Amino acid sequence: MKTESSRAKHAVRTIRLMVVLLCGLAIASAGWAAFGDDLEKPRPEFTRHEDRVAAKLIPRGKSTSVLIEFQAIGGRLLGIEGMGFDPAGQKGMDAKDFRSDLFAVTAGGISPGGELKLSLSSNYFTQATELWVFNRAAQPPWLAAPAENIERPNRVQELVVAVKDGGPLDSDGTVNGEIVLVVGPRDSFWGYALGTLLIRFFGVFLVLGVLQLGMLLAGQVFQALDRRKEAPRTAAARRAVAEEPAEALEAVEPEAATAIGVALHLHLAALRASAALSLEASDASSWARQGRTQIMRDRLLTHDRPGRK
Amino acid sequence: MSFLESLSKFVLTMGVAGFTWQQGVMLAVACILIYLALRKGFEPLLLVPIGFGMLLGNLPLAGLMDPPVYHLVVNPQTGEHSHELKEIGGLIYYIYQGVKLGIYPPLIFLGVGAMTDFGPLIANPKSILLGAAAQFGIFTTFIGALLLDFIPGLTFTVKEAASIGIIGGADGPTAIYLTARLAPHLLGPIAVAAYSYMALVPLIQPPIMKALTTRKEREVVMEQLRPVSQTEKIVFPIMVTVLVSVILPPAAPLVGMLMLGNLLRETVAMQPILNRLLKTAQNELINIVTIFLGVSVGATASGLIFLQAKTLGIVCLGLAAFCVGTAAGVVFGKIMYRTSGGKVNPLIGSAGVSAVPMAARVSQVVGQQYNPSNFLLMHAMGPNVAGVIGSAVAAGVLLAMLE
Repeated sequence: MKTESSRAKHAVRTIRLMVVLLCGLAIASAGWAAFGDDLEKPRPEFTRHEDRVAAKLIPRGKSTSVLIEFQAIGGRLLGIEGMGFDPAGQKGMDAKDFRSDLFAVTAGGISPGGELKLSLSSNYFTQATELWVFNRAAQPPWLAAPAENIERPNRVQELVVAVKDGGPLDSDGTVNGEIVLVVGPRDSFWGYALGTLLIRFFGVFLVLGVLQLGMLLAGQVFQALDRRKEAPRTAAARRAVAEEPAEALEAVEPEAATAIGVALHLHLAALRASAALSLEASDASSWARQGRTQIMRDRLLTHDRPGRK
Repeated sequence: MSFLESLSKFVLTMGVAGFTWQQGVMLAVACILIYLALRKGFEPLLLVPIGFGMLLGNLPLAGLMDPPVYHLVVNPQTGEHSHELKEIGGLIYYIYQGVKLGIYPPLIFLGVGAMTDFGPLIANPKSILLGAAAQFGIFTTFIGALLLDFIPGLTFTVKEAASIGIIGGADGPTAIYLTARLAPHLLGPIAVAAYSYMALVPLIQPPIMKALTTRKEREVVMEQLRPVSQTEKIVFPIMVTVLVSVILPPAAPLVGMLMLGNLLRETVAMQPILNRLLKTAQNELINIVTIFLGVSVGATASGLIFLQAKTLGIVCLGLAAFCVGTAAGVVFGKIMYRTSGGKVNPLIGSAGVSAVPMAARVSQVVGQQYNPSNFLLMHAMGPNVAGVIGSAVAAGVLLAMLE
């Protein structure tokens, strides 16, 4: 018990030492920049296919890339660029809610003051994905765009928003037949994170629950098979016992049994004694015995050298 | 060239010239880890290679973790571009590829499977749920890491949070496997934290177990487990591999190799020639891979990354993950105690955090403190090995979500 408590004390001391060391490291490095933030820059790469533009990017919290397709309905896409969240950062807006970069979309092909519909579609969007627009000139600068979230085949969700030239969503703020829209698909980060906590944890339960069911079923089957295998043996054993003549068991007198026991004991003891005697005897020649003695003496010298611990 | 110029050139090629204070601190941390492993017996099999890898990786100008350098060469006649190898790269860089490509952890799982008897779990399938409950720590820490956003310097991304959370699984290879895929830059701190907490299981778990259970619950003597036939033990790894891989493909490498190792173990009686493979998996292979894994993981812990406030955050969150996982296992054990009419000792729930077989041993020790004639070890081995499967499944779940 003493050893255990001293070990525990040692361990506690070691933990303290580690904590102090780590605190020291933390204090020494407190001013340093965080290193995780810069790793998740979901910068898109764009490719144009006729009147459609596809953005390929790795969203925050993912390791594989996704595609977002842009199309201007009732107009023409003139250009599209990725935009980091920092220039649009405002109090109350969290970059984590925007799992992709923002997109600065320029569209034309409409009459001044006209309207077009911008469509964003991806199988990465969910039914809860919203479209938010950043317009520095507006108050407040971030607006939830009244976008339609339409379900398409192959689990693709399409977000469609109507934008009026010179309207509140148009960042250039002028009626010039061209629309500039800074837009970002938004999903509630905490909804996603808490969903993860619940759904994924129960996912583990589900997988292991299925395993449990499998094991229970397999266990039942194997136990039944074992019972079936055992059954004939048990029955045969029972039959053998039942068929054994009762007289044969009763025929042995206690005195006879004792006599048999004593005889067996004496016989085995004699065998053991002779075996012990035969160990003493050696069939090695005198020459071999002398060699063996010499080897043992050499070994003794090796193992018995002075100062050996 | 004057003598002084030659001398200065020579000095500049020495490691002393490129020595930074961060490297100095890391060398000290490496020595502390080796000391803890050798003198205190904290997971010496892993902490010695990790500590030494840290030492090697932080040696100035040794370049053991440097990638190969290629030169772009343009053929003046044909105008063709080709790459010419200029520097071959450091030794540990190549060893590290086994971590980066996710090769070593499944190989370690092969060895673990070859050494583990799943009999107690097969005999009591209900205990697999304790292994699932103990994974709760992973998910709560995942959220906890994201909540630390408000502390400057402790902003974790979703992938980093998941990698930190997996420490709660108390399974070193799984933690390394997931971190190498999601947040490789955190490999060093996470591996060190994971293995340190695994070594501290006998200190961390008992207070939580005692706080959450009553004396009456701790004294429960469980029924003898049913004998498990050899055929059942052979079918088990095949069934688990198929079921888990069908439901959760990202967990297949870890679970598949774990079960292959176990299959070798259970079939050796049927085909003695398999003993050669079994012995390799149990000894040589796992030892070689452990050396490679430890050294390369240690070498990733460079001063610039390790000496950050985040490391402290990882250490604290890892401990929280571990404690919550233990608590969740015990609480689920209590639920099973109630639902079974007092036939399940809740102390075996804490063994669901993996860390085979230390966590099971802790359940046995704590149980015997209150009832010396109580033998919980085999009952706790069920949730314990279920914890290994559970943490691999949790890693698969996180991978499925974040990849």
